[in-house]
Amino acid sequence: MSALHDLFLAPFGYDFMQRGLLSAVLLSISGGLLGSVLVLRRLALMGDALTHSLLPGLALSWLLLGRGPLALLAGALVAGLLSVMASALLSRLTRLKEDAAFGAFFLVAYAAGIALVSQLGTRVDLLHFLFGHILGVGPADLALTAAASGLTLAAFVLAYRGIVLEVFDPIFARAAGMRGGWFYAGFLALAVLNLVAGLQTMGVVLALGLFLLPAASAYLWCDRFAWMLGMSALLGIIGSTAGLAVSFHTGLSSGPAIVLALGAIFLASAASSPRYGLLHALALARRERRAVRHTVD
Amino acid sequence: MAGHDIFRLQDVTVHYGRRTALDGVTAQIPCGALVALVGPNGAGKSTLLRALLGWLPLTRGEIRLGDKHPRHLHPRLAYLPQRPEVDWDFPISVRDVVAQGRWPSLGLFGRFTAAEQERVDRALEELDLTALGGEQIRRLSGGQQQRMFLARAVAQGADIFLLDEPFASLDLAASAELVHLLQRWLAQGRTVIAAVHDLALARAHFSHALLLDTHLVAAGPAAETLSDANIDLAYRRRMPVLGARP
Repeated sequence: MSALHDLFLAPFGYDFMQRGLLSAVLLSISGGLLGSVLVLRRLALMGDALTHSLLPGLALSWLLLGRGPLALLAGALVAGLLSVMASALLSRLTRLKEDAAFGAFFLVAYAAGIALVSQLGTRVDLLHFLFGHILGVGPADLALTAAASGLTLAAFVLAYRGIVLEVFDPIFARAAGMRGGWFYAGFLALAVLNLVAGLQTMGVVLALGLFLLPAASAYLWCDRFAWMLGMSALLGIIGSTAGLAVSFHTGLSSGPAIVLALGAIFLASAASSPRYGLLHALALARRERRAVRHTVD
Repeated sequence: MAGHDIFRLQDVTVHYGRRTALDGVTAQIPCGALVALVGPNGAGKSTLLRALLGWLPLTRGEIRLGDKHPRHLHPRLAYLPQRPEVDWDFPISVRDVVAQGRWPSLGLFGRFTAAEQERVDRALEELDLTALGGEQIRRLSGGQQQRMFLARAVAQGADIFLLDEPFASLDLAASAELVHLLQRWLAQGRTVIAAVHDLALARAHFSHALLLDTHLVAAGPAAETLSDANIDLAYRRRMPVLGARP
């Protein structure tokens, strides 16, 4: 009992750990919702590319406007929008296909971002920017996180039917007159908002882990969309709590620690999901081989 | 009542960029009919379906049902694309998909009452899917998946069904089942407008036909419209070497 207490409860006696935990829990809720859409719409890699492209915007706004959460948010929003529009233009007007246009563009943006951040000199630690720095979660960051999480939750509650149709069958949504051009714009805005909110705890690149890994795990367990949303959020909370505890005891940055914990949950899910897991697929294949051998005999 | 309505197509012309997809099609499609859209590939069958949905900007002409533009017809209109671009691994049950048919009328916030549930039950029953309601959608056969979308359209309250090549991916048994279903709907006064490749099937089981080759070749009762002479007219140009009927 006391070992468990030392491992998982003691760390959260500290103020900064409580703020970190609260921030991670809030992000897990919105991340689970957004991540489910990313996974189901096959936008996972696009999301990954998007996080990288936010870096130059963040660095520039830090240089010009200071490190207030709102300044960072503005920089990230502009960077995100510009990148998405630029790559969409590239793929439409040139011979390049979408993935190559996005991939190329986001790589360059990421490199520019790293160059800019390193120009910030001693004022910023590049590692904190990239991988998160739990000690840096201040009250203003927490307020932004609460706003991001609350807005996302509200959007999913209010527009649930529209979101399901848009993700599952946009053609039906259109034929039925429920088509929303708002969907992708709103989704992008919420994604960027949550990524920026996750900056302090998770780092700019790894923040997506809180979206993607719980949702991919839940996808392996659930056959109903609403359950998948709930389970994604729950797995995110479990994983980020464990990750923060690990980070406290080992001194590992909070971002990688949380992503590794979520990764363990993901791997366990991929292996053992009763319907869609690896072990199930292997057992099925073995049974089929045996059946074939029997009929041959 | 729906049976008295007529789709009026007046000089309907559609361009995709420079390519003419439909050229001056003037026709009347009566509701309460089973209408086959026939013509070679690229003749404009899918384009006509999308125009009937009000999705395409017409270069010329207009489409009206009664005095209404197609855009103002849902939830009466239902559309089933040739290959629905849905993810069959989506975490959703057959019943939940059919229930989506109620959403356009309910909007984002309308309460899903017991009466709504009952409409969903009836739609499942009509398409013989009651026993499969709880299944994840990947577990259905191709024919059952198609019936699921038709059930969603029924739950929606549609009485005009626009189907793009509904027979294309069905085996013989499922085709026969679909023919049976469409004829039952015809008897109930529902309207089906379907792109069809199989001439024999269109002649035998559809009440009306529109023969297209970008322009309208012929329209009217299926047997007359799909006469050998008309089919020659529509298809010959596409087969200059063979010069033969398909």
